[in-house]
Formats: sequence, structure tokens, C-alpha cells
Amino acid sequence: MNTALKNIRRSPFQALSAVFIISLTLFVVGIFSLVTLASHAILLNFETKPQIIAYLKDGHTTDQVAGLISTMTTTQGVKNAIYISKQDALEIYKKSVGNDPVLLGTVTDWGIVTADILPASVEITASDPGVFNTIVSILEKSDIVSTTPQGKKEIDFPQDVISELTKWTNAIRGAGLVLIIALTVVCILTIMIIISMKISGRRTEISTLKLLGAQNLYIIKPYITESIIYGLSGALFGWIFSFIALLYSTPFLAPRLGGVISFPIPFWIYLFLLIGLLAFGLILSLTSSLFAAARFVKRSR
Amino acid sequence: MLDDINFSVSPGEFVIITGRSGAGKTTLGRLLIHDLSPTKGKIVIDGEDLSKIKPNNISLIRRKVGFVFQDYKIIPDKTVGENIAIALEIGGYNRKKIGEKIIRLLDMVGIPGKGDLFPGQLSGGEVQRAAIARAIACEPAILFADEPTGNLDKDTSIEIFKLLQKINDDGTTVILATHDVTLIGLNPDRNIHLEKGKIISDVDGLPAGKEGKPPIKTHFEKKHKTTSNSS
Repeated sequence: MNTALKNIRRSPFQALSAVFIISLTLFVVGIFSLVTLASHAILLNFETKPQIIAYLKDGHTTDQVAGLISTMTTTQGVKNAIYISKQDALEIYKKSVGNDPVLLGTVTDWGIVTADILPASVEITASDPGVFNTIVSILEKSDIVSTTPQGKKEIDFPQDVISELTKWTNAIRGAGLVLIIALTVVCILTIMIIISMKISGRRTEISTLKLLGAQNLYIIKPYITESIIYGLSGALFGWIFSFIALLYSTPFLAPRLGGVISFPIPFWIYLFLLIGLLAFGLILSLTSSLFAAARFVKRSR
Repeated sequence: MLDDINFSVSPGEFVIITGRSGAGKTTLGRLLIHDLSPTKGKIVIDGEDLSKIKPNNISLIRRKVGFVFQDYKIIPDKTVGENIAIALEIGGYNRKKIGEKIIRLLDMVGIPGKGDLFPGQLSGGEVQRAAIARAIACEPAILFADEPTGNLDKDTSIEIFKLLQKINDDGTTVILATHDVTLIGLNPDRNIHLEKGKIISDVDGLPAGKEGKPPIKTHFEKKHKTTSNSS
């Protein structure tokens, strides 16, 4: 450890560049991990909500609804189909508007919002966004689904929000992964070059150690320790930067993602992130220093 | 280059290898610690054939043979104590014992209290003593000293020689490679004279012709051959 610390003190700029590149890599890893977690939460939120809503004509019978539900549930790719009565619709409405007297109609001329003015509906959740069109075409053929004055069936079909969201999430994940891989490679190369330079700079000393009977492990140990110090301190800085970045972006994110992700983010997530980054930093530094050391061992006698 | 040489050294012997620069003295030492491999023949240390040794065990052989290098090979940015400590660490000594051992070794080689000094702060003779201390730190069975007095004055050379004799008296086999004529006359045991990689004489006591003692062992069997640029 003392030799490793001495090596770091002797070439502070090399140490600084190693720690900087590891911090940057792990900062990006940290941010993308949080983005991935957030996008997963957003997707989950969308997936748990009904994806297709078909509003029903007044005067439909229970048998007709049961028939439609049965058709839906037996369609491949449909996860769930439920009937929302007028009364249920009112409850959902009240829940969504809270105690707002304007929206509840208690202070307007329209009178209080009642179940009568709300349509009954069938809400369908699909496990595969690819079956959306099939579901919509079945619903369009149904007699109990109400029609707009323009002659269109009243089906709330949020287009392919989920598939769009999935596409974007995957694109972000893909870009993040490519960036992380590129930074990891740069990181490994930087540490390898620094450690190789240090080993080369002490070639004479190393050859003396070998002549004195030192084994390769004894010789490379200080360099591996040095690399581990880079990796762990880089991980710590990367985590601190991620923490600060998230802290500063919380006022911007909280109102936009408030319903999906709870802010402030619980500390255990930060703790897991720290452990993950430390593990990644350790693997990164060990891999690169072992590569550098392996080259030395191969060349030395 | 060494060619057609064959000799053995018994435990506890003090052998001086003499010869001009390029005669093969350093090559002999490097063969002993497997820094060079013979192209032919074999070298046996303590019953172990170096030509059959596994690469992982080379370091173990090197710990059996203490080596005092011609250019000292003392690490300049470490103190004398740290230089000796490295050899002890390699030999597997624990930290507590290392401190005590360094003090004893420095006393033994005649540079007490200089453990905290850097090699650059010492005289040539003191650096050489530090190098000897490092070489004998792990109590090797054999000590090979390669021109240990090459850069020293006559009096210091004799002091170093006496130190080597003291080490030999403690039971370590000492092989001293030198072209220093001052030392040749001081050895009571055995002198092997090399010329152009061959053994010219192997005599008990002073070299043949100097004191008239007959050679006791000279072999010209083609046993091993190796090349080196060192003297």
C-alpha cells in the first residue's frame, strides 16, 4: 500500500487523469442506471394503466357487455378486459379531480356531475402493443360501442404510446450502453497505459527485484493496489457527481415525474448505486492493471 | 561465453574466481541464479538441476543464492534499510522481524545506524556493504560476489574481503569473482582462474605459479556453453 501511495505521489497528473476518466465513466454509468430505472418505472406505470377504452352506448345489456368482454379476453395478446359502469366512471372521475368544486360541477350552472352523464366503457390492457390494431378492429365491429356524430366509433386508443415509449427507452438504453462501453474501453486503456508506463519506468528496479528472488505477484502487487485505488476513488467521485446531478435536477424532474417516481429518491437507491459503482470501478481497475501486469510478466524472465 | 567448464563447490567453501574482463566470471554468476540458461550441460545447486527447474521456482533458487552485483543494484530512491527490507520481504520475513534483522545486518557489515540514509548519501564502500547486507539478508546457502571491490580503494577492498571471509566463517559458501590482484593473494581456500570462458586452473590456496601449489581440480570436459556480454 505504501509503495502504491508513493507511486501516486510521484506522478500526480497520471493519477489525476486515471481518476478523472474512471469518475467520468462511472458518472455516466450512474446516470444511465438511474435513467434506466426511471424509464422502467415510467413503462410500468403506463403498462398498469388501461391502454384501450371503448365507450359504450346507453341502453346496452349485460349480455352484450359479457359477450364483448369474452371476445376480448379470448383474443390473443389481451391481458385484461374490464367493464366500467357509469357509476364506476363517476367514482374514477371523482378520484381524479379530487375535491375541485368546479370540476365536480357543484358551483356551476351545469349542475352536479352525475353518473348519467358519464358513459360506461370497456377497458382493455394488452400484453403486446402489436395486437392493438386487432383489438380496435374488433371493437369497431361491435354494436354496443358508441359512435361520434362524425360516424367514428368512440374508442380511446392512445395510439402506440407504449411502443413509442419502449422504443425511446430502448434507444436511450442502447445509446447509454454504447457510451458506457466506449468509456469503459478508454478507461481500461488509460489505466493500462499509466500502469505500463510506471512498470517500464521502474524496469531496472523490477529486474533487481527479480534477481533477488521476487515472484511476479510481489512485483506487480503495488501496481495493482495503485490501480484499485484509482478505481475506488473514481467510483466514489462518479457517485458523488451523480448524486449532485440528481439533487440539482430534482426540482425539474419532480413535477414532471411526480406521479410515477417518488421524490426525493430514497437513500437506499443511492446506496445501491454506490455499491454498484464501487464494484464496477474495482472490476475496471483490476482488469486493466492485470492486463498491464500480464504484458510485463510475459516479457520478463 | 563459457565453454567446457566443470567444477563443483562444497558447502562452506570460499572460492575466488579470477580472470580478465570477458573471461566469463559474471556469466558464471548469472548462470547460478538462472538469469542465463546454459545452452548445454547442467548446473546443480543443492541437488537441484537448474536446467530442469520450473519457471515458477526460479525465484526460490535466487533466494538460495545471495548475489552482490558488480554495479551494486541498490535501489537509489529507497533507503539502505528499505533496500534490505525488500530482500527480507521477498524471503518471507514478517514486518516485526524485518526491523530487528536490518539492525543486526547493518551492524554485521559495519554500517550501523545508516539504515535511514539513501545510497547517494553513502560512500562507495558503504554502498557495497549495504549490497552485501542485502545479499545475505535471507541467509542464503551461497553468496556470489561479482567484482565487489571493482570501484573501491585498496584498504576498503581488503575490508570488504574480510567481511566476506566473516560471512564464510559463519557457514555461508562464498564465491568471489574478481580481477583484483590484492584479493587473490588473501584467499586461503581455493582459486579458479578463467580465461576466455575456460577454466585454466583450479587450485587450493593461491593460484599456480604464484605460490607453487599444484592445481587440485581442472576439467576440460565439454559440459556447458553459454554466451554473455558481461565480464
